[in-house]
Amino acid sequence: MANDTKVAANNAEKNKHLEEKTANVLEVQDMYLYFQTGKGIVQAVDKVDFALERGKSMVIVGESGCGKTSLGRAILRLLPENVYKYEGSCLLNGTNIMQYDDERFRKEIRWKRAALVPQSSMNSLNPVLKVSDQVAEPILIHNLADNKEQAREKAAEAFKKVGVPVDFLDRYPFELSGGMRQRVAIATSLVTDPDFIILDEPTSALDMLTQANIMNVLTRLKEEIDISFVLITHDVSTSSEIADMAAIMYAGQIVEFTDAYTFFGPPLHPYSERLMASVPTLEAEDEELGFIPGQPPSLINPPTGCRFAERCEEEFELCSEEPPSFEMEDGRTVKCWLYREGGERNANYGK
Amino acid sequence: MPTTENDLLLMAKDLRTWFEIKKWGFLHVGHVRAVDGVNFTLDRGESVSLVGESGCGKSSLAKTIMGIHQPTEGELIFEGNTVDSTDEQSMRQYKSEIGFVQQDPYGALPPFMSIQRILEEPMIVNGIKDKEKRLKRIHQVMEELKMTPVEDFLKKYPHMLSGGQQQRIVIARSLVLNPKLIMADEPVSMLDASVRVEILELIKKIQAERELAVIYITHDLSTVRYFSERIWVMYGGKIVEQSPVRDLLKEPAHPYTRALLEAISEPDADNIHNYKKVPPGEPPSLLNPPRGCRFHPRCEHMIEGLCDQEIPPDFQLANNRLTACWLFRDEEEAGDVAI
Repeated sequence: MANDTKVAANNAEKNKHLEEKTANVLEVQDMYLYFQTGKGIVQAVDKVDFALERGKSMVIVGESGCGKTSLGRAILRLLPENVYKYEGSCLLNGTNIMQYDDERFRKEIRWKRAALVPQSSMNSLNPVLKVSDQVAEPILIHNLADNKEQAREKAAEAFKKVGVPVDFLDRYPFELSGGMRQRVAIATSLVTDPDFIILDEPTSALDMLTQANIMNVLTRLKEEIDISFVLITHDVSTSSEIADMAAIMYAGQIVEFTDAYTFFGPPLHPYSERLMASVPTLEAEDEELGFIPGQPPSLINPPTGCRFAERCEEEFELCSEEPPSFEMEDGRTVKCWLYREGGERNANYGK
Repeated sequence: MPTTENDLLLMAKDLRTWFEIKKWGFLHVGHVRAVDGVNFTLDRGESVSLVGESGCGKSSLAKTIMGIHQPTEGELIFEGNTVDSTDEQSMRQYKSEIGFVQQDPYGALPPFMSIQRILEEPMIVNGIKDKEKRLKRIHQVMEELKMTPVEDFLKKYPHMLSGGQQQRIVIARSLVLNPKLIMADEPVSMLDASVRVEILELIKKIQAERELAVIYITHDLSTVRYFSERIWVMYGGKIVEQSPVRDLLKEPAHPYTRALLEAISEPDADNIHNYKKVPPGEPPSLLNPPRGCRFHPRCEHMIEGLCDQEIPPDFQLANNRLTACWLFRDEEEAGDVAI
């Protein structure tokens, strides 16, 4: 008994550490996530580093199959059975949560400190339960409320935050429109008051006006409550609505990490550059859209050098070796040999 | 309209497609007015984008044009002849003139058929019995789509191809019967950004080479400019604005079109400081649409006693533009858009 209280006190002590407000809310260092499949080992996340400042939001942009969803799941340790390698460190408020065992991670981190809105979660609401029960579920599981009424009140609060009328609490998912269901899904991640929320393609299945509405909700949440978003998306244009920072992912690696201003005008890495050129805009006059010929490499046997080299127009000798992440003067990092001497491109140097 | 009889490929006159809703299998509840009074003209070799939110009836309109749904009222005139949905023989002929490019290539290609079989199928159905002839056409189309060497692809099955290649096969299948019109239902929404443009350029190239008319259905206004000359904006079962793309993007007329344009995000870091202006409310139920203009409950320019009572007709504006909005009732004579 005495031992138990001691353990509890000990945990409380450690938790206090989690409460601490460090400059970076999330710091991911050397994260690896490989999967074992019948065809070989898939290197879904390969040595990823980034840091997210408190109160800021970031976007992880990349094409499908580049490992962006796997990265989100690796941070929250929502892993399938066939994991081959899962290592690295993930600092939440300065505490390495990778050292926690699964049970402790579930109890103290997942949803309580960091929540996830998975892709198409609006379609995975349970059709036979009222939405209030589904939104209140994390509160009850984490014992954040004394009884059901209190949990319901908290759910109502979360509804207000995302702009769903409170009388929708007693409705069933099929009675709500797509935009409302998506808001409910976001409310489910808000109820436990986490430090950051990972949103996986929150607007990809929605219409234009609904999309704009959801982005407005996220912008307002950012202003009103102290929360960070990690937005995982392939849609560069919509992500600009809330992203302070941008990480561009290609074939399991982050090839460029920068703040939004430098990303949108214009990025440095050849891949991000080509990606931005393929984004259609309303304003540009008679501009031809670009595309990237070829396909991303297979993650089972990725090229040993730079993974973008075979599709890159500026490939040269050095590219057969894997480039490190070069830090620029303005703080952004670029994983490309062209930038080995700072901000200026020196393409012909090695030729 | 400056079009002569000869240029005109397809015309719709007051087209309506309603679906009956029944309770317990026999009690009549009402009609879902998915397509409710649509008029348009489409020239040979013209590329038009049909834009609207989900549930606005754009897929129902597409299916009505393709002959999958029978129109409840109104008529479709193809090359001068009224499309008669009761005559099986002429319907088969009509349907073979229209190629369909589906949204999800993986779902549209039967996984148990080889590519060759998939591409042969439409020709078998339409009675081209000579196998040599079928293969010759397949080769021709595949080469046009730069799927070479053709033989390598024909033996494969859909799952062996990448998303972009699958979508090319879907396009090839829509072309083997040498149609005059291609209906492309969100052909790139399932593809990655970098492949997307490639497929759009491909459709554009084929359209120019074969002088095909293309109806490109999408909800993404930002890709429209790269693709079409004209645009139809659909809302609540009706086409609310028809206009050349450039004019529409510069000066949207209908309040709904304006709302759509304002909702689009441009890749710009300054967005983070701004909120988007979105009209309140949700699109109307097509089972019980609002009286008068369908957009009036959400419209900030609503004129009481007019917009909520009477359905606006199509008003003609400069540059061959049509808009169904009462705000333009006086400008029709003046002929300029002053908003």
